[in-house]
This record gives sequence, C-alpha cells and structure tokens, in this order.
Amino acid sequence: MSHEPTVKIVNITKRYSDIVALKGLSLDVRRGEIFGFLGPNASGKSTTLKTILGLVKPDFGYVNVLGINVEDNPVEVKRRVGYVPESPRIYEFLTGLEFLDLTGDIYGMNPAEKKKRIEEYLEALELEGREGDMISSYSQGMKQKIVIISALMHRPELLLLDEPISSLDPRSARIIKDLLRELASDGVTTIICTHVLEIAQALCDRIAIMYEGGLLALGTMEELRERAKMPESDLEDIFLQLTGTGDIRPVIEALLK
Amino acid sequence: MNWKNVLLLISADVKSYRLVSGERFRRFRDNRFVTYALYVGACVFGVAIGWVVGNFYSGMGDPQLRELLLQVTINFFLSLPTLALLYGLVITQIGQIQRIGVKASIQPLYWFPITWKEHTLASILANILGLPLAITIFISSGIAVASLFVGVVPLAILTIFALLVSVLLASATTEASRVLQVKLSGAMTKVAGRMVIWVKFLGSLVIFIVFYAVYFSLYRQAASLDLLELIAGGQRMLWFIPYMWHGIALSYFVSGLGFETAILSLASIGFLYAIFLAAVRLNSRFGLYEAPAIRLSLGEYTPRTGVLEKLGFSPLEVAVMRKDFKALTRRSELMSVFMFPIMLAIMPFITVFRGSTDFNSFLFVWLALMPGAFMVMNLGNFMVGLEGASVWYIYSSPITARSLVKAKYSFTVLFSLAVTLVCSIIGSLLAAPSMGIAAIVLTEALFLIFSLGMVSLSFGIRGADFSEFPRPRMIRPKWAIVNMIVCTLLTLAIVSPVVLYLLKLFIKTVQAPLYAMVPISGVIASVVAYAFYRIVLKNAEEFLIRAEG
Ligand SMILES: Nc1ncnc2c1ncn2[C@@H]1O[C@H](COP(=O)(O)OP(=O)(O)O)[C@@H](O)[C@H]1O
Ligand SMILES: [Mg+2]
Repeated sequence: MSHEPTVKIVNITKRYSDIVALKGLSLDVRRGEIFGFLGPNASGKSTTLKTILGLVKPDFGYVNVLGINVEDNPVEVKRRVGYVPESPRIYEFLTGLEFLDLTGDIYGMNPAEKKKRIEEYLEALELEGREGDMISSYSQGMKQKIVIISALMHRPELLLLDEPISSLDPRSARIIKDLLRELASDGVTTIICTHVLEIAQALCDRIAIMYEGGLLALGTMEELRERAKMPESDLEDIFLQLTGTGDIRPVIEALLK
Repeated sequence: MNWKNVLLLISADVKSYRLVSGERFRRFRDNRFVTYALYVGACVFGVAIGWVVGNFYSGMGDPQLRELLLQVTINFFLSLPTLALLYGLVITQIGQIQRIGVKASIQPLYWFPITWKEHTLASILANILGLPLAITIFISSGIAVASLFVGVVPLAILTIFALLVSVLLASATTEASRVLQVKLSGAMTKVAGRMVIWVKFLGSLVIFIVFYAVYFSLYRQAASLDLLELIAGGQRMLWFIPYMWHGIALSYFVSGLGFETAILSLASIGFLYAIFLAAVRLNSRFGLYEAPAIRLSLGEYTPRTGVLEKLGFSPLEVAVMRKDFKALTRRSELMSVFMFPIMLAIMPFITVFRGSTDFNSFLFVWLALMPGAFMVMNLGNFMVGLEGASVWYIYSSPITARSLVKAKYSFTVLFSLAVTLVCSIIGSLLAAPSMGIAAIVLTEALFLIFSLGMVSLSFGIRGADFSEFPRPRMIRPKWAIVNMIVCTLLTLAIVSPVVLYLLKLFIKTVQAPLYAMVPISGVIASVVAYAFYRIVLKNAEEFLIRAEG
C-alpha cells in the first residue's frame, strides 16, 4: 500500500468575482479515514468538495485524488469517487430505479451486481415499493437517499458527501453512519461536510474547521480540544470558540427584543 | 469516446416527455409507444403527404405541368437545408433561453465519469429531440415517399442527409453559444449589473430579428415559387459561409456536378465536426457546474412603501406583485413571455423597412392592440405557473384567494397596459393616426386588456404547471390552447361592434353609430370580465386548497 494520501489539496484558491470562496487551502486526507468539514455557512466547504471532484477549477493550487491530478484526468477521478451534492438536481422525470440503473451503467457495473446492489440498498433505506415512482414525486429525504445510493452502489474508493444526513430519518441516518464506518475499515475514504456537530463528533476520525475559505483548525477531537484550550468541552463549544462566535448571548438577546 | 455513455444519457433525456403532462406518476410504467408517438406521428403524416403529392404528380396528364412541378419539387428540396438550419437554430435557441441562467441543468452529467466529448455530444443530440427531430422526420419521410413517384430518389436521399447535417449544425452551434452566453454574462455581471439578463435576452432577440429580416426580405420576392428559387439559387453566392456548404452541395448535385457535390458534402461534415470540437473545448474550458451568481445590489435594506399601497393594495398583495416584477425581469427563463409580444411589435417595422407599405393607420392599430393583447394573454397564463417549485411559498403564506387574484390580475393588467402605452406612443408618432381612430383603438385596447386578463388568469390558474425540469413549464399545453381559442373568440366578440362601425364607412346601409358601438363593445367586455372574475375566484380557491400542486 502506498503512503500517498487519498486526497492531497495544495494551496487552492477560488474567487467568484469579489467573493473569495477558498483562500489557499491545503490539507491531506488519508486512506480509510472519515474526514469531516465543519464551518459556518459560506465558509467554503461545498466549494472544497467540488474542487476535489473537478467540478470547480481552482484559480491557484491543485488537488490530487488517488494519486491523480484532478485537472489532468477528471474522468478517471470521477469513476472512482462517489459524490452526494448539497441539493442534488437529478433527472426528475426518471423513476428512482431508472436513475440507479443509469448510474450503474455509467459506472460500468455488470448487470447482476447492479441488480443485487440496487435491491439491497433500496431495501436498507426503505425505498422499496417506491422505486417505480418518478423522482419528481419524491420527498426531499427520498431524493437524498436515491443520490446516496447512486454514490455508494458502484463501490467508490472515495466518498464526497455534502450534508448527506441532514434530511434523513433517524433510522436511515444510522444505517448510513454505520455503513460509512464499515466501508472505512475496508479502506474507503470518506469526506463529509456537515452542520450536525454530533455526527462529526461521533463519526469523524479527523475534523477540519473552516472559516471564510481557510482552515481554522484541523485534527482529531482531542487535538481540537487542546487547541481550543477547552479540555472538557464538546464540539459545539469548540466550534463556537474557534469561529469567534462563542459569545452568542448578546445576539440572542437582540433577536428576542 | 464511449458511445454507450452517450446513448445512456440520451435515452435518459428522451424520457423528459413524461413531465410534459405535469402529472405525478405513481408506479410509473413506460409506454414505449408514447415515447415515440411524436416521431411516429410525424413519420405517418409525412408519408401521407408525400403519397398525396406523389399521386397528384403521377396523375397529371399535361407534360408541361409535370415539368413545372418537377422544377418546383427540386427547388423545394434545395431550399430545405437552409430552412432546417433556421428552424433548428430557432427552436434550440428558444430552449436555451429557457434553460440558461437557471440552475436547471441536470447535475449528474457533471459528476458522472464521462468525458466532455460524450457530455457535449449527448447534449447536442438531446437538444434536437422533440420538435426539431419531429419536423425533420416529417419532412424526410414526406420527400422520401414523394421522390419515389417523381423519380428523384438519389436527390431525396442526399436532401435527407443535408437535413440531418442542418439540424445537427444548428444544435451544435447552440451548444457552443450556450457556454459563450454563460461566460459572457458572467464577465458582464460587473459592468452591467442587473442589466445582464436583458443583455442576454437582447442577444437572443437579435437571432430572431435576423431570422425575420432574412425571411421577410426573401418573402419580398412575392410568390412562394420565387422564394424557393431564391434560396436555392442564392446559396451558391454564399459559398463563403460554411453553414451553406451542404445546401450548395445539393444544388451542385442537381446540376450534375458529382465531384463538387462530394467535396462540399465532405467539407460540410468537416465543418460540423469542427463546431462539435469547438463546443467540446468551450464546454471543458468554461462549462460550469453552477452558473455564477449575479450580484444585484450591495447596500442597505430599506423597506419601501410605494404608490401601490396608496392605491388600496394590501402589503401582502404589493409584496407578491413586487416579487413577480423581479421574477419577470430577472429570471431569464421567463423571458419567453416577452418573446411573442416583442416579435409582434417588431414585425410591422420589418414590413415597412422592406418598403411594401408606409407607416399608416393600420400600423398604429396593430401596435396598439397586438403586443398588449398577447402580453396580457401570456402573462395571465403564466402568472401563477411562474411560481414554479417555489409555489409552496404561496401555499404556506396567509394569502386569500381574493388577494391572490387581485395581485396577479393587477400585475398582468398593469404590465400589459405599460406595453400598450409604449407601443401605441411609438405607433402614433410614426403613423400619426387621426384623433378619432386613436381614441377608438385605445379604448378597445383597454377593454381587451381588462377582460382578457381575467380570462387568461383563470385558465392560468386552472392549468398551472409548476415543474421546472428540464425547463419551467408554467401552464399545461392543453390549457394554453384552450385559453388561446377562448381569447380569440372573445376578442372577436368584443371588437365586433367597432368593426361593424368601420364597415359602415364602406357599406352605407349598415346602421352602426359610433356612440352606440363603443359602449356596446364595453358592455360585452365587462360581462366577459365579470363572468371570468367569478371563475377565476373559484379556481383560485380550489388552487389554494389542493396544495400539493
Ligand atoms: N457558483 C457560485 N457563484 C458565486 N459564488 C459562489 C458560487 N458557489 C459558491 N459561491 C460562494 O462561495 C462561498 C463559499 O460557498 P460554499 O462552499 O457553498 O459554502 P459552504 O461552506 O456553506 O458549503 C460563498 O460565499 C458562496 O456564496
Ligand atoms: Mg455547503
């Protein structure tokens, strides 16, 4: 096994006219790790994920995924990565089953395996019975599940999940979490963006806290505690402390007026 | 290139017809026939027409007539590639306008492991599905069958080939221009600010104007026979335009110049490939996962109170109207609402510029009535459907049916009045109609706008379609057609008294005094408006109740 990190982000910067979405971000994600991105809204988490997949081209810097430079060979990277975007817009006019079938074919799965995986996942996430309905009639959570299945079914080496669990029911959320753990022990790397601090705390091996397009802190829970000099605290307090939003009392008082 | 991927993507795209009806399907099962009904229908229709024409030709006794008809047929064939290029461009561009700017692009294309070549090719082919392909199939099957009777089979085959090249060229060009439009508007955001959408819109409009200018200047050659001959013959003079090459190849073939035909055919395929490569390059350089955000204003937020509140609208109603105004001026996919009225407003100018008429009263009547009437019909139809996926916001807000109708109707009427005002001012400056005519026409315009607004809005609510993929639909086609028919009939009813009065100018026996006719017209309009007010209220109430859309 090589010691090359699964994802190597080097000094990426991205501007959207006068908004700086990413400011010279650099970090490595190791193989088999569950890596969490945390940060306030608009801190650049989603942009980072998109850059890793080559959907967004950085103005400076580069990203290596599985030893491949994303800009050089985005297709090979995409073939080996599963992606769940923040608010996916997929083919509304296909049925759930048809979309998964399409995904399986695009990723070159063989028919038997495709069928088996689709059936397994539909059952696990309690979508059976609805797979023949058009996606346009699905609830937000159901759409999310379909996209999650399409990201997982082709057994990618790297998973990029942008707020995947927020709209899932507790049971499905739990299944996904356990599944990610299992996959991690098989060497699948997961990068996950989330607002839900408990998920980050419980699930992630390492956590990166982003703020205004840069890295505020990076490490395991222990390291973050140390960094924030709050040995006993949970992630919420650390998060608020590090992002300078710790003193929220006056804000709440103003809102209540 | 992995052809399997291209096929997979297209076969997914084919299924978009399912959203056309705006129904939600449980346990959806594909009806293979429905998928292809449009194409099968076009083919059957084409074969039928080809057969009729062919039989007509065979049954003709007079050899001179036969010779003439053969000539017409050949010229018709020759003109087809150019026409196909034009309809291909127009239809794909319209589709583009409706999609661009919105994040209506389907995302998986971007994260699936497919190359830009596959992506671009699938997009080009998918764009010609639907109307462009149906028209092409219709024409192709028609000329194929007719050619059997007339005995020009090789020419027909080559023509069909040229048709395909035309449509593909059009779609590839649209695909290439799409990226440019997105990129350009991104670059212009800073400079033009909130004008960006208008700039894009005008850019697309230019295509239509060019189309109309070309069309009318050709049409000036009067008889349709001349028109076809002109296109057929004119092509050769335009050899320096690569878009003409396959058409010219066809005319060389008719002249029996095999070598030139082959060269130009190959050249046109080469050109098609070049455009495809250009589109691929543009896509991979600039094809954006998400369109750049447009920043409209930076600065302080100050709640406004305006004239509308003073006119007796509640803050909620004003808020809805303001939102609708912003939607119409900012959401570029809604620009198609303006397309038809603007085209109607421009058309008379083109007829004037080509010198066939002067600026006369007719021009004024046209400008005062047509754009406003079509605006009110379009807006009334789309006013509720334009809420699109955000319709939950209306459902969940504390709005009564009356308020909803009031806001939507007032907006429709005010906007259309503004259009009429602008158009009739321009019309009266240019055409200088007499005061009498101006007064009558403007009064009728008012009647039409007030009554048709109610009519269209009631159908707009009844047939509202909130699906936004692959483009916003706003109203189900069935109800749009019903609305058009009803509006046409009611328009005739409303203006008939005045038409009667105008007839009096020519036929002295008709008894129709002006002072009676205009009020009668007004009464009819009021009755229509009131009747549809009841209907629109009922529809709005039902609409707010059946909240699942
Ligand atoms: N396509 C875009 N056009 C303009 N600005 C964008 C675009 N995508 C993201 N941004 C901006 O970049 C910043 C970071 O966004 P994002 O990465 O989505 O944040 P988040 O951490 O909430 O996922 C935000 O300020 C956002 O407005
Ligand atoms: Mg995000």
